[in-house]
Amino acid sequence: MADRILKKEDLGRLIASVNAKGGQFIAPALDARQVVFKPVTKAEEVVTDYIVARNSYKELVFPQTEVVADFTIGKHGVDLKGRDVAPQETIVFGARPCEAVSLSSLRAIFTWDYIDEFYTKREDALVVITVACTKADDVCFCTTVELSPETKTGSDIYLKETESGDYIVEAVTDKGRAFIEKHASAFSEGSAKAKALFIPEKIGTIDLKKISARLKDKSHYDDQVWGRLTRKCIGCGACTFVCPTCHCFDITDEGTAFAGERRKNWDACQFDTFTLHASGHNPRHYQYQRWRNRFMCKFNYYPEKFASKGCVGCGRCIRVCPVRLDITEVMEEFSK
Amino acid sequence: MEEILRKKAKELLESGEVKVVIGYGWNRQRTKTTPVFITDAAEADRLVWNPLCVNNLSVYLTRKFKDIQALGKPAIVAKGCDIKNIVVLITEAQFKRDDVYIIGMTCEGTVYRQELWKGELKPEIMPTKCHNCDVRNPHLADFVVGEKSSFTPPETPTGMVFDKIKAIDAKDQAGKWAFWINEFSRCIKCYACRQVCSLCYCERCITEKNMPQWIETSAHPRGNLSWNLTRAMHLVGRCTFCGECERACPVNIPLNLVNQKMIQVVKDAFDFRSGYDEKTHPPMIVFSPDDKDNFIK
Repeated sequence: MADRILKKEDLGRLIASVNAKGGQFIAPALDARQVVFKPVTKAEEVVTDYIVARNSYKELVFPQTEVVADFTIGKHGVDLKGRDVAPQETIVFGARPCEAVSLSSLRAIFTWDYIDEFYTKREDALVVITVACTKADDVCFCTTVELSPETKTGSDIYLKETESGDYIVEAVTDKGRAFIEKHASAFSEGSAKAKALFIPEKIGTIDLKKISARLKDKSHYDDQVWGRLTRKCIGCGACTFVCPTCHCFDITDEGTAFAGERRKNWDACQFDTFTLHASGHNPRHYQYQRWRNRFMCKFNYYPEKFASKGCVGCGRCIRVCPVRLDITEVMEEFSK
Repeated sequence: MEEILRKKAKELLESGEVKVVIGYGWNRQRTKTTPVFITDAAEADRLVWNPLCVNNLSVYLTRKFKDIQALGKPAIVAKGCDIKNIVVLITEAQFKRDDVYIIGMTCEGTVYRQELWKGELKPEIMPTKCHNCDVRNPHLADFVVGEKSSFTPPETPTGMVFDKIKAIDAKDQAGKWAFWINEFSRCIKCYACRQVCSLCYCERCITEKNMPQWIETSAHPRGNLSWNLTRAMHLVGRCTFCGECERACPVNIPLNLVNQKMIQVVKDAFDFRSGYDEKTHPPMIVFSPDDKDNFIK
C-alpha cells in the first residue's frame, strides 16, 4: 500500500493553502537565535533541525495574556462585558510527540469543574501536526514518564521524516483526516523509507510508581529532602512558562479608574506572591516549598485527579533553569 | 584548585566557623554545574571549580533566601565578578563584611552559557565581562584559591556588548525605540532576570504591588516595556555587569546592553563604578552638600 507523503517542496504549498483558507500556520522558526513556535508564511522559515522549540505551543490555546472582559465604572456601579473568543483555525506543525500529549492534560484542567471556553474553543480550532523525533539531547526524558517518540496521543497528524527530508503522513484523528482532505493538493502518494526514530534511554533509577506511592504518603511534606534538593531554586517562572502542562493564571484589571480590561495572565506557583494571603501569611513561605508544590502538582495531584499526565518529559524546564535545577534528580530521589 | 577549595571548605565546616558553604557542584550527568549548599564537612568533595561555574552565587546571600540564612553563617565560593555584588550588598547594609566568609577564586574566565562548553575555554565563548575583567584576582576575600592571574584588561573596554551599545547609540530616537520595543516584545514576564539578580533583593518588588498596580503584569508591549525599564532604573549605579539576568533570560533579551549603558552613564556622571569598595556608598543613596549639580540643593 502506498503511503501518504508530504514532500518537503510541498510544505510551502501546504502553508499557502492554510493561509489562503484563513488559517494561521505555526512552525518552529528562528527568533533571536532560538527555535520557537511562531507564525510562518513561507517554507524557508521553517526549521527542521531542532530538538524541541524553546516555547511550548500551549500559548496558542492558553495565551500568555488575554482580555476576558471589559469594564466601565459609572455612577451606578460597574458594567462588566465579557468577551467572546472566535479563534482562527491554527495549525501547529513540528510539535513533538511528548508535548502533543500535554493538550489532554490542559483540557482536563480547563474542563474540570468549569468549561473554560477561552481554552476549549481555541483547542477545537487547533490542528496538531507532530513530527517524530530523530534526535534528542541529554535532558529529554519522555521514555522515563512512559511516553516515546512513537506516542501518537494528542497528535491529529503524525509525521515521520524520511531520508530525503520528506514526511510520511499518518492521520490520527478525524480532525487530522479532515485537514488532509481540505488541503489535499499539498499531499501526494508514494513510498519512502522513514528515518530511524531516536528513543531516549529511560532513566533506570526513576520509578513513577514509587514516586507516586511516596508522594501519596504526605509524611514527606516537611522532609528535609525538599530543602536539600531544591533550595537553589531562585523562584522565577521560567520553568512553568515553558512547560507544556503548567496552566495557572491570574486575573488582573488594567486601565483607568473609570474603564479598563480584565485580563487573564499566566501565573506561576514558583512566585512568592502566588500563595500570599491578604493577611500577610504565606503557607509556602520558603522557595523549596513552592518547588515541592510544582513537583506534587505534576506527580501527585494531577495523576490523582485526571487520567492525563502532569509531566510529559520534554525537558524544557531543565534547559531553561538559570540554576540548572533538574526535575529528574528529584524524581530519582523519590524513586528510592 | 578544586582540592584546595574542598580542603578549605572542610576546615571551615569542621571548625564551625561557617555552617554552610555555598559553591558549585555537578549535575547528575556531570555536564553542567549547579549551585550546591554544603553543610556537612563529609560532603565537601562535591564542590567543583571549572569554567562552567557561571552562576553568581551571591544571590543566595540575600534576604530572599530565608531558609539559607537560617542555616547559619555562610562561606561563599566567589569569582571576582561575584565579589563585586557582595561588595554592593555590604554597602547597601544587607549584611556586614564579617557575616560572610568569602572564598575568592582566581579566574581565567567562564563560558557565556554552559551550553556553549565543548571542553575548552575559547575567547569566543566567553562573555564580554571576562574579556575586560580587572578582578581575576579576587579583590575582597578571606581566602584566595588559585595562582595569581597575570591578565591585564584592555585600556578601552572591548567586546560584543560595547560594539552593540555603540551601534544603538548611533541610531536616532525612533530607531532606538524600535530596537528595544522589538527586543522587549519577547518578554514572558517570568522574572528570571529579577530572581537571579543578587541586587534585586526587595521582598516585595514594585511589580507585585497591586493597590494600585504600578506596573502592568501582562506580557503586552506596554507591560513589558514598563517592567524592563523600571528594573533597569532600579539598578543604576548598583549593577556590576555580572550578566546573570541576560544569561537567565529564557528569551534572549540583551539585558547586558541596558546594564552596561547604565554603568557608562554613572561613570561619566559620578565617576563611580560599583562593586569595588565596600566602604563607599553608591551615588544614588548618598547626599553630599558638595554635589556639583545645583538642582538637588
